[in-house]
Amino acid sequence: MSRLREWLYYAALWLIALIFFAPIAWIVMSSFKTRSDILAVPPKLFFKPTLDNYVDLFNRGEIFLQIANSVVLSIGAVLIAVVVSFLAAFCFSRFRPKGTDFLMFLLLSIRMLPGPAVILPVFLMYVAFGWKDSHLWLMLFYAMFSIPFSVWILKGFLDGVSTRFDETGIVNGGSWFHVIFKVVMPQVRPGLIAAFIFNLIFVWNEYLFNFIIGGVNTQNIPYALSVGTYSDGGVNWTFISTMTSVYIIVPVVFIYIFQKYLLVGMTFGTVRGEV
Amino acid sequence: MPPVQQRRRPFARLFDNRATLILTLLAPVMTFFIVFNTIPTLWLLGLSFYNFSLTSGMPPDFVGFRNFFAILASKNGIWFDLSRTFTFVLCGVTIQTLLGAMLGFLFWGSKDMPGRRIALTLLFAPMVLTPVASGTFFRFIYDPTFGVLNYLGRALFDSGPIDFLGNPELAFWAVLAVDCWMWTPFMTLMTLAALGSVPKAELEAAEIDRVPFLRRLTLVIWHHGKFIMMLGILLRTIDSFKTLDLIIPMTKGGPGQTTRLVALELNKQAFESFNMGWSSAYAVLLLLISIAMTSAFIFVLSLRRRRENGA
Repeated sequence: MSRLREWLYYAALWLIALIFFAPIAWIVMSSFKTRSDILAVPPKLFFKPTLDNYVDLFNRGEIFLQIANSVVLSIGAVLIAVVVSFLAAFCFSRFRPKGTDFLMFLLLSIRMLPGPAVILPVFLMYVAFGWKDSHLWLMLFYAMFSIPFSVWILKGFLDGVSTRFDETGIVNGGSWFHVIFKVVMPQVRPGLIAAFIFNLIFVWNEYLFNFIIGGVNTQNIPYALSVGTYSDGGVNWTFISTMTSVYIIVPVVFIYIFQKYLLVGMTFGTVRGEV
Repeated sequence: MPPVQQRRRPFARLFDNRATLILTLLAPVMTFFIVFNTIPTLWLLGLSFYNFSLTSGMPPDFVGFRNFFAILASKNGIWFDLSRTFTFVLCGVTIQTLLGAMLGFLFWGSKDMPGRRIALTLLFAPMVLTPVASGTFFRFIYDPTFGVLNYLGRALFDSGPIDFLGNPELAFWAVLAVDCWMWTPFMTLMTLAALGSVPKAELEAAEIDRVPFLRRLTLVIWHHGKFIMMLGILLRTIDSFKTLDLIIPMTKGGPGQTTRLVALELNKQAFESFNMGWSSAYAVLLLLISIAMTSAFIFVLSLRRRRENGA
């Protein structure tokens, strides 16, 4: 390929990437506009940027609750899920107890069901037991919803670690405890990271469950986005653009840093490799 | 003489018994599974045979299969929603696969591209955003008066203001376009993975033998990449069947019922009308569809495993 053709090719690829990012860029840009600039006809590409929207957003007070909820719920739920899933995945991978395939199937099918169908009976249960709008129970539900995905990813990685390591560990007098956490666990670190990151993004993005079995105390950022849409007697575009801009930092930074886990994370660990 | 270690670490030695070890490893996951899945699912199954509304204050009333009959026989009900959903899935997945595969082939030779990682981050960003946010800001972009899309339409094609989400003929396609914007990058990702799984040596051999590109595509690339592509298409099918929170902020199923997919209808009946018995029956029907789809996914996985073991 000649030098010029190569540059044209790269320019075309960059253009494609920018086209896909354009709607997001437009929203981020809008968050620096005044209310009248956002609603201007024709839309303004050049304007005097202002930080007023961000000042307003952080003066609202609830925003800190919402961000804190998002952070606490996602990290808590995912930590629980990854630990529980690692133990289960180790068991499935090493001992293959009866019904392993069936259990793996059941676990996966939870994630394949439309959200309202999953949450409907859980909602009734939470109402009956008075668990609604509680951080702990919402976190536990998120943990349970993150488990299938983590088990699938981790089992794939554990299957790739030779059982020789276990045998060597046991023969040399190590306990299973030692083998699991000191010998095998360090070797599946990429799997643990992938499970952690992608569940984190999932809980960070989750809206329906937070809305149905959570409530005012446990509201996270997507909840706030959907509830805050109509305020001040109309659609509140300054709030939406600013809140979205604050919220998207986390997922976008994550897929930049953890790009090599993207494939395994988006396919339940069934496809391995890098892009 | 008993080993010294037994006295020193009785706790760790407890797990030398295989059955105890298996049970201990599985106990946490089974607890979660039973409390948050098995019990609720049984509850759901039971409730689907009752007439029960949370708002009426009446105790549940056993009606047998009547909920199911009511759903399956209703006019303008589940059959319309299902066919709309499958149209959505079919059109969406087809467009995303074709477009995503094209982009995947384009990005195939970009290993040395300057700023590749940033470009890929920008490309993949749409699929990690919460659909609630994408839906909301696309309403802004689609807006008939101050939306940027209408401005472009006016400037380039001199068209009048188009209310993309308010027009019953356009709303469905407008929503579908956003779904494609979000998920085409996913199929690009899968195509890149599929292309990455093709052995370099075979590609080079085909090139040296001057096999035309189309034959190379069918003989070499498709042979190695088909499982990953099939998994991608299946995952997309299942995911797009669940589409809900993208549509809620955009149209809420309207105008009329033109964007009412099954998940949306269930959400509305369950959490706006609190029609719990009816919704449970509806959820059970969706559960059956999801189980069928999951089985298809597992089947493709087992096919791949069998081939890997055979090869």
